[in-house]
Amino acid sequence: MSDRRKRYPLVDRTEPNLLEDTFDYSLPPRIRFDGPIVEYIDGKPVEFNPADLAARDIVITDTTFRDGQQARPPYTLEQMVHIYDLMAKLGGPNGVIRQTEFFLYTANDRRTLDSCRALGHKYPECTGWIRADKGDFRLVREAGLRETGILTSCSDYHIFQKLKFKSRKDCMEAFCGVVDAAFEAGVRPRCHLEDVTRADIDGFILPFCERLMRMSEQVPEHLAAKIRLCDTMGFGVSFPGAMLPRSVPKLIYKINQELGVPSDRLEWHGHNDFHKVHANAATAWLYGCDALNATLFGFGERTGNPPLEGALIEYISLRGYLCGIETQVITELADYMRSIGMPIPDHYPLVGRCFNTTSAGIHAGGLRQDERIYNIFDTTALLGRPPRVAITDKSGADGIAHWVNEFFGLKGEHRISKIKMHKLARWVLDQYEQHKRLTSIGDEEMEVKVKEFLPEYWQKYGPRSAC
Amino acid sequence: MSTIQERVVAVTSRVLRLDSAEIRPEHAFSSDLGAESVQSIELIAMFEEEFGIEMEEDAAMSVQTVGGAADFIAKVCEEQGVKVEV
Repeated sequence: MSDRRKRYPLVDRTEPNLLEDTFDYSLPPRIRFDGPIVEYIDGKPVEFNPADLAARDIVITDTTFRDGQQARPPYTLEQMVHIYDLMAKLGGPNGVIRQTEFFLYTANDRRTLDSCRALGHKYPECTGWIRADKGDFRLVREAGLRETGILTSCSDYHIFQKLKFKSRKDCMEAFCGVVDAAFEAGVRPRCHLEDVTRADIDGFILPFCERLMRMSEQVPEHLAAKIRLCDTMGFGVSFPGAMLPRSVPKLIYKINQELGVPSDRLEWHGHNDFHKVHANAATAWLYGCDALNATLFGFGERTGNPPLEGALIEYISLRGYLCGIETQVITELADYMRSIGMPIPDHYPLVGRCFNTTSAGIHAGGLRQDERIYNIFDTTALLGRPPRVAITDKSGADGIAHWVNEFFGLKGEHRISKIKMHKLARWVLDQYEQHKRLTSIGDEEMEVKVKEFLPEYWQKYGPRSAC
Repeated sequence: MSTIQERVVAVTSRVLRLDSAEIRPEHAFSSDLGAESVQSIELIAMFEEEFGIEMEEDAAMSVQTVGGAADFIAKVCEEQGVKVEV
């Protein structure tokens, strides 16, 4: 029998190939495709070309003040205004963060909305969120908003078990009545198809969306209904070949390509119950939703929503440029959130205290030689967060040297040799070997010891903040 | 006056807490004498102190054996104008 395995001869080099077309250290790594994606829908192959993404105005919409606030005690007015202000700075002048939504039910809701709009930012545009109740349009009109989200729950769990409609037809009529009321009020409705990934797609979702399309043809373009696909329980999956109603690609294809709902009127809203929230949201972008709905740091109902900062990094990875996004504001927002009592886990990507901190001495050794080895991108430039090492018994001399040089802000030939740190390294090791310590050594404790064991360097370069 | 070799053995004995009679030139600091990460830099620091020299970190760290250390130190002493007994 002949060996039909493909052969891959070594491509020898004496200089490294760092794949910088993809891993340009100055940006988050590019996501590049080498051809169309094929998905089988109703038994037929359908091509999706990721290159089309470049021509679409993909955006991020925010729900920090709506879904995000359903998961925590209310923000104060001042906090919301500050967060909104920072969000505007973060998304930049091109409006990559295009919209954010507000509750409209209380006097405080309204004061907050007015205070945010008084800042005069073009983006994110403020929109509303109401129940599917015609009476609620009074609130939208009074607020003078151009667009509002409307809760149009669409699985039978909601239609029958929660909303107690006698039939799907009754439910659809009720929802369409509210949409009509929005048109009459001159407000663009954004129908939030709650629980869509557990709904009857052919039996309710597509007929409802088709009806919304027909209704929208009767009104000016700026009022045409938008559709938000709400993966309320996080059931969505991005895998090619997965079946409806859980398939994100198929769901979007059906609504976008079969019904003709334009991409700029389609939005994905996910939840993280199965750890799929960000991948599903980015998949929605790829397959035809222009808007990715997110919250800052993923705070949201139960397990949370797509993290807005993750979506921004994904956006840059897909686009290959910053598009006006001020990435350092991500860190500013995280610091602010912590300051108002919102916990962010230490290992949370991009903003956690340890997201680019290594505890292993061997990794610290790599960082010393070339920080790209163990850092995802230039986190110093993009997030104001240089890669760091945490000091434990695993840090080794390399880890300690990295900590000290970073503490003093020394780079390149100015870095202090680890040979000079032998007393400090011995002290660290003794904490664990002699004193049986079980916790890592904090920055403040290290500072005291640096002053004690490296007094000449302390005098020359310190004290500086290690954070 | 002791030779470089004898002084290297003495420092190694002190840092690694070994009997100097057991240390031979062909011994590798790590695999034969059991020097761990931190002890390796302690050894280099103590060699610098013993001979009054400064060693380049990566070059010094690449030295594997006791005899290799004596040769390396002799070279550094010569470069830095430090008189030693060979």
